Amino acid sequence: MMLRENIHMAFASMAGNKLRTLLSLLGIMIGVASVVTILNLGRSVSESISESFEVGGLDTVNIMPMGNARETMIFTEEFSYDIEREVMGIKEVLPTVSSYNHVRNGQEIVTSIQVQGVTSDYFASNALETEDGVFFSPAENINRRQVCIIGSELAEELFPEGNPVGKYISVFRRQAKSFLVIGVLKERDESLGSSYNNVLFMPYNTYTQRFRRTDQVGTYVVKVEDGYDATAVADDLERYLNQIAGEDYYRIFSPATIKEMSDNVMSTFSLFLAAIAAISLVVGGIGIMNIMLVSVVERTGEIGIRKALGATPKQIRSQFLVESVTLSISGGLIGLVIGTLLSLAAVRIAGWTLYISIGAVIVSLSFSLMIGMFFGWYPAAKAARLEPMEALQRD
Amino acid sequence: MKEAILLDSVTRLYEVGDTVVHALDGISLAIEEKSFTAIVGPSGSGKSTLMALIGCLDVPTSGRILIDGEDTSGMDDDELAYIRNRKIGFVFQHFSLLPKLNALDNVALPLLYRGIGMKERRERAEALLVQVGLKDRIRHRPSELSGGQKQRVAIARALITEPSLILADEPTGALDSNTGREVMDLFHALHSAGHTIVLVTHDRGLASECSRMIALKDGRVDYDAS
Repeated sequence: MMLRENIHMAFASMAGNKLRTLLSLLGIMIGVASVVTILNLGRSVSESISESFEVGGLDTVNIMPMGNARETMIFTEEFSYDIEREVMGIKEVLPTVSSYNHVRNGQEIVTSIQVQGVTSDYFASNALETEDGVFFSPAENINRRQVCIIGSELAEELFPEGNPVGKYISVFRRQAKSFLVIGVLKERDESLGSSYNNVLFMPYNTYTQRFRRTDQVGTYVVKVEDGYDATAVADDLERYLNQIAGEDYYRIFSPATIKEMSDNVMSTFSLFLAAIAAISLVVGGIGIMNIMLVSVVERTGEIGIRKALGATPKQIRSQFLVESVTLSISGGLIGLVIGTLLSLAAVRIAGWTLYISIGAVIVSLSFSLMIGMFFGWYPAAKAARLEPMEALQRD
Repeated sequence: MKEAILLDSVTRLYEVGDTVVHALDGISLAIEEKSFTAIVGPSGSGKSTLMALIGCLDVPTSGRILIDGEDTSGMDDDELAYIRNRKIGFVFQHFSLLPKLNALDNVALPLLYRGIGMKERRERAEALLVQVGLKDRIRHRPSELSGGQKQRVAIARALITEPSLILADEPTGALDSNTGREVMDLFHALHSAGHTIVLVTHDRGLASECSRMIALKDGRVDYDAS
């Protein structure tokens, strides 16, 4: 009940000195605005990074056998089943092989296209869709049919006049081999520098037995089961592979692990910046203490009257404490609005999406509260200690 | 009759640099309930100190002060604030109203420190403002009131806590003679209604209207006449 009156009195006294109040709040406003801006931007940047990771598949872990693995001879297509069996939380393991080759259609030649041999499950697992045509079937893989699916950009380059489906193109590996185009992929955003728009897919068995004879898988694309943490599965995979093959014989790569690293870097970095900005909050607190000290001196008479009327030291102290906290929280709220607008503007310019950091809101407001309490304590205690008779005589 | 105030060899010393000033020097006196007492004396006689001690705004160096039978010696700041809030109604020379509050909230202020809710505070304050003849000035701020009106607001504020004692320090000192007269008439009316009033003044004319006059000189009672 006292609190409501105290807040009311605080606003009345702030309204009585608008310019002075504003100036004294400048420090805390700037401090909160910078902390909020930095944390919001940090959050927005890492969210926009993770969006690009999500396109790449946060549920994916890639295992790439290294050259020397020929010696071990374990990275075969069948090894996919071993991985699936030995490590928890795996939905499926898709063996893939790839190389960079030239592709030709009549006069049109496109150089260094990523040619991938994949199983027929690969497309659904990676949420790929055709713009035109179809994907190959398991039977076409088993029968080593010379069919292919091409990315949208590659389709445009090879077939400027359109309609690639049903036509033959040449894929070069020492000599030209002819492939029937049965599908064109839908255009898709690039992720982590790899794009599905410039790629050529053929059946895995066609690749390894007709295109480029090999027993070794190029990359095992491991899909993580729903409800499992991809980074944890990646760690388990590493443990398993170190034991089976040794750490020199493979590389592991997962968007989730990279995302975790980049999130850590981003949050450390923005916390560091926010900590620097928080120094201005302390400066802001000193501004508030200053104005409260002035206020106590100016209102000595008022304090005397209140004491004569029966206000206890504690009641006087809460009045001034509530006033300084009201001041600092008002400053904090204004700073919060300014900081949010600033981050909105910055995000617009940079072309990201704004993510409001709830942590920033909580931290800045509770910081404001603490600053009001801390820097208001001394002036309030000073007011509470005034001798009523002396205070009255100065009225 | 019961005493509203009892002073038992009360001394108040001030140290100013190296010298010790005896503002009050062993005063003993009793002020009865429902009396109207004037305390007079030239400046420096100790009457302001006496008022401060009776009003529990200050504590004696030695001696005891009983307000409404309660011994205030040894009380801490909170207990003294409690006594001021419950037992004493102050009326000051310069009104001592809070400029940012209207008449109603000024009058209601002492009840705030008693933890009484806003609705009851305002109802009681309004009734008192009507009683002192300020029915039309309830929402006015002190700056919008005349000196006499301000002093009426202050008197209403002194009455709101139903104190054992109204302590008035030169209540007409800042008023012209006509409004001063009106304020004195109000005090007489309150006295007739059964309030105990202590009037501190240097004006012997006003003091002579009271039922008892205590004159101070150099921190001692010079004479005491009923």
